Amino acid sequence: MTHYQLVSSNKRRSAIIMIGFVMFVVLVSWVLAGALEYDLSVVGMALIFSGFISFGSYWWSDKIILGISNARIASREEFFDYFTTTENVCLGQRIPMPKLYVIEDSAMNAFATGRNPENAVVCATTGLLNKLERAELEGVVAHELAHINNYDMLLMSIVTILVGMISLLSDWFLRIGFSGGRKKSNSDNNSGQIQVFLMVAGLILALLSPLIAQLIKLALSRKREYLADSTAVSFTKNPVGLANALTKISLDQEPLEVANKATAHLYFADPLKNHHGGIGMFAKMFQTHPPIEERIKNLLSIA
Amino acid sequence: MNIFTILLLAGVAIAFYVVSVYNGLQKLKTQIEASIQEIGNQLKRQASLIPNLESSVKGYMKQETNIFKMLTEARKSVTQAEESGNVKDINKAIDQIQGLVPQMKVVLESNPEIKSDQTVIKFMNELTDTADKIAYARRSVIDLTQSFNQKLVTFPSNLIANAFGFKKEVGLATPTSGEHLEVSSSEMESPKVDLN
Repeated sequence: MTHYQLVSSNKRRSAIIMIGFVMFVVLVSWVLAGALEYDLSVVGMALIFSGFISFGSYWWSDKIILGISNARIASREEFFDYFTTTENVCLGQRIPMPKLYVIEDSAMNAFATGRNPENAVVCATTGLLNKLERAELEGVVAHELAHINNYDMLLMSIVTILVGMISLLSDWFLRIGFSGGRKKSNSDNNSGQIQVFLMVAGLILALLSPLIAQLIKLALSRKREYLADSTAVSFTKNPVGLANALTKISLDQEPLEVANKATAHLYFADPLKNHHGGIGMFAKMFQTHPPIEERIKNLLSIA
Repeated sequence: MNIFTILLLAGVAIAFYVVSVYNGLQKLKTQIEASIQEIGNQLKRQASLIPNLESSVKGYMKQETNIFKMLTEARKSVTQAEESGNVKDINKAIDQIQGLVPQMKVVLESNPEIKSDQTVIKFMNELTDTADKIAYARRSVIDLTQSFNQKLVTFPSNLIANAFGFKKEVGLATPTSGEHLEVSSSEMESPKVDLN
């Protein structure tokens, strides 16, 4: 297998998840709105609300993350390999060079953010920059640039907005549905039964769908990580560099101090080190990143 | 909706598609040309590094006339490649420059006092980095050529490409047969490196 097929199959998988997610959103919206006998304008309202809240974090993602992570600008003189490997990968892909930042921390990690390649930011810890060889650093940088190039920030923001919308709808449903806020309908017995069915379905969905939506979002996040890995290889044509970097990072036990649950999904590897040896299948569904061993195996399959 | 409206809409859709494929092909063609120029750009950058490297190591390497010969050869082939701009010259220049890097590393390993000199370290890093940049510039040409040629052979864009007379792009043509692709039995033996 080559990186071409790997990239295609990863793109296909994340597209399938996106389509499934949109269908799920449509289903939930339809059931919840229908159960309360409101029309779909209530869905529109939830979407706008959710969009408002999340838009800022999407548009100014670069400034926000830098602000809360204590990052400083990385210069070419101080971080020659970091700077030049980024320069080179951008040259190969004809994309603008992102702004490079550094976090002082001995834990090894990196992240990329930004709404599009023109407003992109890549940040790495001094721990990572000190411990990786040039070829390994190139792999990590290529992975981050892959995220930017694949517009992952945009995709995950849209998904976040939709997840937020589902949560709002569910919340409203549970409040309105049980406080008698429903519209009075002069329907006859027949449509009354459909109403009951919708209410029950709506109740189940309202309770479960925020969780389901979150799980789908996490599954998508993992697929995008795989896609970023394979795209990085299509940039550098060197799967071993990135695989070696991942091996080194997996051996590094330190959690990253400046990361927290809100920013964990952006990082190169799970910064909160939430994995202990054997993770049950259930816990795996809640991870933002695929297990490192899987990522390394994936990369070496095309080496 | 009568049959004429449908046919009209279908016609418009097809026209849009044809235009977008045509424009895509032209865009790729222009990008390929620009990327080949970019290789020349990187070579020029490396050419300007070489005199600096020469002067910084001259003091240490009086005996290493071999290296100086290689540097001069490399500089000559780069100037040649810049002037002619054709792919064969570019490839020759790249080979000579990239051949420099391992040779220089061997010399440095055997000369600890050169090895630890900051200027030399800096220039070795720059030389390695520029070799990388040339590799990436070439990669860009290869990727663009692949995208372009792929459109020429896949359906339905191949129909449009043939209709407008687009030809397969050469990119960085390396002959696909010849002795450079063969390994002789003498080459299979481990090389003996003499550092004296």
